[in-house]
Amino acid sequence: MNTKHNRQDLHSFLSQHPSIHPERRAAAVPIMQALQKERGYLNDAAIEEVAHLTGLSTTEVEELATFYTLIYRYPVGRHVVQICDSVCCSIRGADELLVAAEKYSGVPLGAVTPNGALSVLPSICLGLCDRAPAALVDGEGLGPLNKVGLEALLRSLGEED
Amino acid sequence: MLGIIRIDGHEIPFEPGDNLLKVALAADVDIPYFCYHAALGSVGACRLCAVEIMSDDPDKVPRVAMACLEPASDGLEVSVSAPAAQQVRQRVIEFLMINHPHDCPICDEGGECHLQEMTVACGPAYRRYQGHKRTFTNQNLGPLVHHEMNRCITCYRCTRFYQDYALGDDLGAMRLRNEVYFGRFQDGPLESPFAGNLVEICPTGVFTDAIFRQHFTRVWDLKTASSICPHCSVGCNILPGARDGTLRRVRHRPHPEINRWFICDRGRYGHQYSEHTARPLTPRVAGATITYRKALIAATEQIKAAGDRIGGLGSIREDLEGNALLRALLNNLNGIFSAFNDPELEAATITAVNRIQNSDGTPSLTEMEQVDAALILGDLTAHAPMIDLALRQAYRRGAQLTVLHNGPTPLTQFAVTTLPVPPHEMGAYLSRLHERITASPASKDVQDESTAEIAERLAAARRPLLIGVVETLAASEIIALAQLATALGTDARLAYALPGANAYGAALLTLASRKTTTILEAIETGQIQTLIVAGTDPLGDTRLGSRWRAACQRLNTLIVLDCIATTTTAAADILFPVAAWAERGGTFVNYEGRAQGFAPAFKRLELLPSTAEVIADLVQCLDLYLPDAPAVLSEAFPGYQAPVPGSAGSLMPVHPLPTHIDTATRSDHEHHHKHWQAALTTWYGDEELASFAPALMKLAPTATALISPAAALNANIEEGAQVKLRGPVGTMTLPVQLDNRVADGTVALTRMALVQLGVGHGDLLELEPVS
Repeated sequence: MNTKHNRQDLHSFLSQHPSIHPERRAAAVPIMQALQKERGYLNDAAIEEVAHLTGLSTTEVEELATFYTLIYRYPVGRHVVQICDSVCCSIRGADELLVAAEKYSGVPLGAVTPNGALSVLPSICLGLCDRAPAALVDGEGLGPLNKVGLEALLRSLGEED
Repeated sequence: MLGIIRIDGHEIPFEPGDNLLKVALAADVDIPYFCYHAALGSVGACRLCAVEIMSDDPDKVPRVAMACLEPASDGLEVSVSAPAAQQVRQRVIEFLMINHPHDCPICDEGGECHLQEMTVACGPAYRRYQGHKRTFTNQNLGPLVHHEMNRCITCYRCTRFYQDYALGDDLGAMRLRNEVYFGRFQDGPLESPFAGNLVEICPTGVFTDAIFRQHFTRVWDLKTASSICPHCSVGCNILPGARDGTLRRVRHRPHPEINRWFICDRGRYGHQYSEHTARPLTPRVAGATITYRKALIAATEQIKAAGDRIGGLGSIREDLEGNALLRALLNNLNGIFSAFNDPELEAATITAVNRIQNSDGTPSLTEMEQVDAALILGDLTAHAPMIDLALRQAYRRGAQLTVLHNGPTPLTQFAVTTLPVPPHEMGAYLSRLHERITASPASKDVQDESTAEIAERLAAARRPLLIGVVETLAASEIIALAQLATALGTDARLAYALPGANAYGAALLTLASRKTTTILEAIETGQIQTLIVAGTDPLGDTRLGSRWRAACQRLNTLIVLDCIATTTTAAADILFPVAAWAERGGTFVNYEGRAQGFAPAFKRLELLPSTAEVIADLVQCLDLYLPDAPAVLSEAFPGYQAPVPGSAGSLMPVHPLPTHIDTATRSDHEHHHKHWQAALTTWYGDEELASFAPALMKLAPTATALISPAAALNANIEEGAQVKLRGPVGTMTLPVQLDNRVADGTVALTRMALVQLGVGHGDLLELEPVS
């Protein structure tokens, strides 16, 4: 997370978006992404900021923010693993992977490990059904996963600083 | 062309474009459903309205389809009872019930729960699912609506109503998957004036009535009767529900031309005034409680002693019967009657009713939804909330709205042009608009672009609507608006939001001009000794309250009939508490001139006669002969027949009324640098009766002095600064709030502030910063 990012720059970048997107809801998405990139997740103040920039109400922004699985409303670790548990992945053992992930990471799904390195989240269908059970690791698709591979992955991500 | 479909052998006609579910429901053929709503249309979200549709080709198997998404076509064979369709419906219910709590015995919705009914009708009687149910944290949505998200079945009716239909933006659908949550960004009161409709639109108990909940009873124990809302001139049809002598709740009752599915929150929650702890319930003479009979005797003595030195004030919120009998009594005694306590409001209302009677008919709410352009004068949301909702529907269909306003009004959000106009300049602006519409193209002044734009938009519209709020317009401006309608041709429609539930009837009964001034002056000169006031509060009036208070000091006897505790009831020598609207039968005439009857839903333990009954008893005690209310009314209005409660109502016969030109009681129009024009700024809960509804009043905006940023800059006043306001009666200090919807040189104030200062809408007052 780049905390030194110049606030002024971010604001001028963000404020251009509404004019690029005639549909205010469409403008909200890149603005949310930009804020998340700077802050790691969107807190309530960030939602209010997006509302202010787009002219949407806070409720309308919250609808969008909570719909998209790649927008985080709670703090996440430096590495995020999103394990798909939709139909194909579920049939191929995703549910067991989710249980195992809690064991390997030592924290419940959605929580951040104490060193701030890792979060594991369940995810809606990633469209990686051919690689089921699949996951998104820091934005990159990975699969098919098994417990051994998952344990190794979470160990290595969780130990990184 | 009409076609015929067959549902399980029943032949049912349909209109082209209708879907199967709509056709079936209209013919009273039951197809189970959740998410479909006549006002919101079909989305096919719940999958409950599965039916089997036979193929034309006998070799093909029938298919299962959603009735709400399937257009009706001639000759279509549909089966609701087919086993395949039944099985789909049963499975859908079983899935919907997986997370639904088994809390029906303690759920407020029980007894009128659509989910309960559908589960009993289609679903399995037992749950097979043994796992955990998903649970949510509820939100505090304010004092009117209670939230219980665990019961949600994700039909999306709430947000479809709240966002799509009522155009609110503070209730939405959050999250995804099994976690979809309907609520706000953060806890807090719902902001829409129509939020209470969530209670009725939710098919289960997610949104329930927070007021009803505080004094709950099972709905099958409620006594109900066809009634009419007393809180504004729209005349929405409602269903009050009472038990054990107390009023518990109000719901909508469909009227095909007025409110088909909804009511506003003032109508739904304003009823609490009848349960207010300060409500007078026992007659009082000289401050002491007394029996009804003794109060009648005391009043009789005073009326006899006064002879013809008697006056009577009826009311715009009093029913037709009460007003008509009071007028008949006054006529019999050679006294003077008016149904108004402010000469300007009297002039404006009578003028508006005159213009309506001379137009081709004022549009109903359903007709207003169809207009393609509207010119709106004033704040419809505060004065006739359901007209606002009708115009939101017109806006959704592409209508272009123009709002001329003195202060903030929610409809400006949906307008193409909004123009803040100071109260005194409204008349001049309307004349300019009139000139612009009627002038030949060559002579048109090119300077005034916004006026030209508004004029062209109205002239180009197929069905323009011109609508004004009578309480914030002078009689001359009401005439100017009607002239605009005439200039626009026969397709233009004219309507006025009148100042009370029975303002139309009050105008018809007051008839001649300047009756109110005559009464007030007669009291001041001692020509009136006894004044009977029925259902109005002259002593608490904004502009004339102090003059009425001084005048009433000169009276021998002030006899007051009312169901709320007002400044006037406090000053009464003889007080008759009367039945509130749900406790009596009567008739209101709405803004269209439609007389609608309402029936009593219940009686209280206390003896509370209606205004008409008190006057009839007085007549008897005075040994006079007067016919009863229906006879008095049919004498006053030839051809009048009392409308039956629950019917569609009947238009009042056209009745000759004078047209008023300004009564010129408005304070001096000359401008002084310290003088500002007062503008009444209200909100949807602001109404005399509803102001006694505690929960609704929790939502009242705080009192501030609203001025425009430009005016503030001129006067060197900053946002949040304290200013001292001085009116003819009093002074007060308020914080300034800047709002660019306020007209120049205008200070927008609440009704309470106007009363305290003694100014009416448009009157001048002084404003100076407090150093």
